[in-house]
Amino acid sequence: MMKILKSRELLVLVLLVGMILAVATQNKAVLYPITLINIVNSSLFLMLIAVGQMFVVQTRGIDVSVGAIAGLSAVIFGFALNAGMPLPLAMICALITGALAGAVNAVGVVFIGIPPIIMTLGTLGAYRGFMRVLTGGSWIESIPQNIKSFAVTRYMNIPLMVWAVAVLVIVVAVLLWRIRAARNFYAVGDNADGAYLLGINVKATRFAAFTLSGLFAGAAAIVFVGQIGFVPMQTGNGQELKAIAAVVLGGVSLMGGTGSVWSAVIGALFLTAVDSMMIFLHVPGSWNNAVAGAVLLGVVVFDYLIRRTVRNRQLAARAAEMRRAEADQDRGATSTTTREMAS
Amino acid sequence: MKSSVFKSWEFMLAAVLVVELIVLGLINPAFLNIENLLFSTSDFVHVIIAAVGLTLVIMTGGMDISGVSVMGLASIVLGLAFVAGVPIGACVVLALAVGLGAGAFNGTVIAKTDVNPLVITLAMLFLYAGVASGLPTLLDMMGFAVAGAGGFEAYQYEGISGLPKSFTWIGTGAVGWVPVPLIITVVIAAGATYLMHRTRFGRFLKLIGVSAEVARFTGVPVTRTLVTVYALNGFAAAVAGLVLTAYFTSARSDLGAEALLNIITAVVLGGSSIYGGQGSVLGTFLAGLVLGFLRQGLLALGISSDVVPVIVGALLIGSVALKIGMGVLGTRRANRRAYETERAAVGGNG
Repeated sequence: MMKILKSRELLVLVLLVGMILAVATQNKAVLYPITLINIVNSSLFLMLIAVGQMFVVQTRGIDVSVGAIAGLSAVIFGFALNAGMPLPLAMICALITGALAGAVNAVGVVFIGIPPIIMTLGTLGAYRGFMRVLTGGSWIESIPQNIKSFAVTRYMNIPLMVWAVAVLVIVVAVLLWRIRAARNFYAVGDNADGAYLLGINVKATRFAAFTLSGLFAGAAAIVFVGQIGFVPMQTGNGQELKAIAAVVLGGVSLMGGTGSVWSAVIGALFLTAVDSMMIFLHVPGSWNNAVAGAVLLGVVVFDYLIRRTVRNRQLAARAAEMRRAEADQDRGATSTTTREMAS
Repeated sequence: MKSSVFKSWEFMLAAVLVVELIVLGLINPAFLNIENLLFSTSDFVHVIIAAVGLTLVIMTGGMDISGVSVMGLASIVLGLAFVAGVPIGACVVLALAVGLGAGAFNGTVIAKTDVNPLVITLAMLFLYAGVASGLPTLLDMMGFAVAGAGGFEAYQYEGISGLPKSFTWIGTGAVGWVPVPLIITVVIAAGATYLMHRTRFGRFLKLIGVSAEVARFTGVPVTRTLVTVYALNGFAAAVAGLVLTAYFTSARSDLGAEALLNIITAVVLGGSSIYGGQGSVLGTFLAGLVLGFLRQGLLALGISSDVVPVIVGALLIGSVALKIGMGVLGTRRANRRAYETERAAVGGNG
């Protein structure tokens, strides 16, 4: 039991399943495969920016500009498609835009030394403004509709888009697991000075984290445009805070050094599922944010209480051990003195 | 190291403010009309009020991004209470109490756990925004009757208007030439300055910001101080929400939601360090004016409002980069001076 509680990904997964089952007692429609598929499908955007965010938070940073980067990438994607570029080329444009925007954040944070929240808050405003300047504030609507084929075509009843993101997430997870350099994210986040002394390139690692965050925001933009077929000005609005909430919920500590891709995936699934559950319980949508906030608050406080209990137990055990050792030493000391006196 | 008043960050901000007004006035003389200038502050003083509260929090090395949601929450609480027939004076007290309570809740959770304040207040940001947008439907479900079709839920989208003149005076009235919102802002900023620089509480804030651990061992009541400072921030956010409500003459749950970038920019541009232990309310106040007038000026020049966040973002990053640069130069100069004195001393002896 304690082990499940200690792994935050599992804890949230259990909570997620529990929530769905609890709602199912009120409304069986929740358990229909189509419902579950729809939940996964609508969590894809959040999932991708959360995976990007995960790299940054893991290295003890924060990136509040991801929503704006996704918006900017979506606009570039739309422009590229409208200019008649083939789909793969347009996708690459969107990804490059995201990575570049992330790299700008990285330059400010890594080379100038601006605190991450300040730097990315600044670029949040800048990218969002830039996006509006590019489009003149109007939506991009005349996109060739064949890009929606990814979202509409289904294989085994599941949209191709879901398969694509699933493959991407698994590939990333395997890469992070197999590549030794991927451990650097943990090391730098846990203790940057220690990592430096171990010979890890701290600056390059943090630079990579911010760039990856931008890159995934670009990928999220492609998914978003693919799903709805146009680019509204609100693309990614407010999603940056949701992405942070998702990774924190999934167990990535803002103090760095913890969490995995699965944290981001499960966190994003949970936050999206909460919205759907509200619908099945006939709770007005205006309560979604309150429930999401309460869950996030509950999980982080609960997590703190568990960590405190574990630590207190360890401390108590250590204290008992020291007392025992001290007692042993005393006994040993008295026996030697008596022997000395005897001789 | 502050050798004179003229080298201080606040003085630089004041100089920037004067230069900004002169430049904007030269481009468009109508801008310098003193009455216009005073009354245009009503568009942005809510940012300054909230930023003053946040300055106290950031002084302790903490962070509170939930203030923008508290603004909307205070606004909708006032509106719903008014519709339910509560006298307007009591509505204001209720809304302010909600702000104070929300802030105190933030402070309690932050002081009692070791979780990053940003995470806690991120959760609170969603929680308060959700409660604010959900309250009207909750009142309907609880069976409170209200005159008019659609019940309370209708107010969620339309906002609550028809607030009495005695209340909207807070946002639209003036004493002589000075608009009431500006007076409220100055009073709050002055109160916060007094609190920060003239009371023991203010010293505690700074001590906690430098090192919470050391403060605790020194006998500073850390928990009580933190709860108080977050409560004050919630109060300031509620005041900001009410001023905005009175100015728009309509109570809405999403008031102020867009202000986060501006609020944090005002605090950081004002010279506060987000690592704590450094900051000034006067700096925040001046930075808020610089930002607000910049926005007004750009709009008056006919520049699209889309460009404004780009400039605000650039200012935020630029000001921090400038401070870092100044710090590096200062260190280098001090090092060189130390080296020269050392060499002189060695040379003199040898």
